Amino acid sequence: MEKGYLQISFAWLFAFLAGAFIIFLAIYASKAFIQNSDEVQDTKTSKEIGILLNPLETGFETGKTTSINMPSETRIQNRCDIFGTFGKQLISTSKKSFGKWTKTDRLVDFENKYIFSEDIVEGEKFYIFSKPFYFPFKVSDLIYLTSSKERYCFKDTPDRIENEIKSLNQKNIILNNCSETDIKVCFSLNINGKCDINVDYNSKIVKKNNKIMHFEYDSLMYAAVFSSPEIYECQLKRLMKRTEQLALIYNDKAALISYKVGCNSNLNLLALKNLANNLESSANLNSVNLIVEDIQEKNKVANCKLW
Amino acid sequence: MKYMKRKNAQLKIQQMAFVLIAVTLLFALVGLFFLRFAFSGMKESATELQEKNALLLISKLANSPEFSCGESFGAKKTNCVDFEKVISLKEHIDKYRNFWEVSNIEIRKVLSENEKICTYQNYPNCDIIRIYDNEIQGYGADNFVSLCRKEFSAEAIGIYDKCEIAKMTIFYKEVS
Repeated sequence: MEKGYLQISFAWLFAFLAGAFIIFLAIYASKAFIQNSDEVQDTKTSKEIGILLNPLETGFETGKTTSINMPSETRIQNRCDIFGTFGKQLISTSKKSFGKWTKTDRLVDFENKYIFSEDIVEGEKFYIFSKPFYFPFKVSDLIYLTSSKERYCFKDTPDRIENEIKSLNQKNIILNNCSETDIKVCFSLNINGKCDINVDYNSKIVKKNNKIMHFEYDSLMYAAVFSSPEIYECQLKRLMKRTEQLALIYNDKAALISYKVGCNSNLNLLALKNLANNLESSANLNSVNLIVEDIQEKNKVANCKLW
Repeated sequence: MKYMKRKNAQLKIQQMAFVLIAVTLLFALVGLFFLRFAFSGMKESATELQEKNALLLISKLANSPEFSCGESFGAKKTNCVDFEKVISLKEHIDKYRNFWEVSNIEIRKVLSENEKICTYQNYPNCDIIRIYDNEIQGYGADNFVSLCRKEFSAEAIGIYDKCEIAKMTIFYKEVS
């Protein structure tokens, strides 16, 4: 009996192997291309978000609110880097595609933005409000980013804060009447301990995730409420870096005015510069604020106000 | 006969190899063309983003801490640029190189006919402040602002505030 062999000619075998290789290459290239397109799109979105924050620079308004609607479920990753003259605000976005989050390693950076939010904010609609931070001169506008999915409920707020929240009219920040799912922000000592965030205006501290963040002024209080402790501490250091540079500019301006028009202001701006530079964490903020208040008072009564 | 068969097979393998090389080359060329097309789109997008940034930034730049008058010249003013502060800023500009992500910022006195570039030394007897470099390149987006400074008069007035109309322009470059 003759044995049966499967006879495949070399040409066929070669064609199969080469064909398989070409198909593999085509699939690999398509996958890489789709991944790359997603990454490009995500990077573009991140950059656009940053650019769209430009109009939030306030004149002399107390606060400003706006919203961003995304075409699909989006994740905004907020990162902060303190290296360099001003540090960097880094953001990246990824969107949900076929039930999975697109993977993106590209972060878009901005030196002139300060976004306070949780590390990752997720949703289709995002609320943004901004508030100027003075220390003692205007340092920057702080941007608070939240998702419409998360509702913040402020309890027992001081009248000033209550009025501000009312005038902001931001849909995801409500006053009192909290529901179970709300993130509760309490301004008084809560006996039941059912608050997610505690604000103590006497000690000027915000307690969140079992961590304490120190603040001065309302703009930093909001920053501590809406951001993760890590983001808050990093952005605060970045704000101090900008304070440092602005103190130098104002110091030069003081010298210029003194030389050209003979008007002296005698503000201890170099001391402010050094203290801002040495700020280790928000716990030291109060010591910097002492000199800030002193400078502010002197500038108010100066013949030639520097700001 | 056997020799003829082997030769025929070799010829087929050669043919197949040539076809494969041709197909691979075709794929590579199509891929290159596609990448070029995709990258030109990316450059356009990057330039568009630069333009968008400049247009949105110009409306608010005068109110940013490095430029704004604050209460230096009486009541709080919007779109008011502090001349002394900007001149001082120019002295520290290396640190601000990537701060606003624009190629240059120019503030030009509208009613001045001269083109004298401002420095710390010739201030305030000059007409144009260029923040980064003395040369300008690229496209611009502009806005009108008031440019204010302190002046001294030897007569009775003493120190007074002087504000002039100026045009603030942000320049951005096309991404190449």
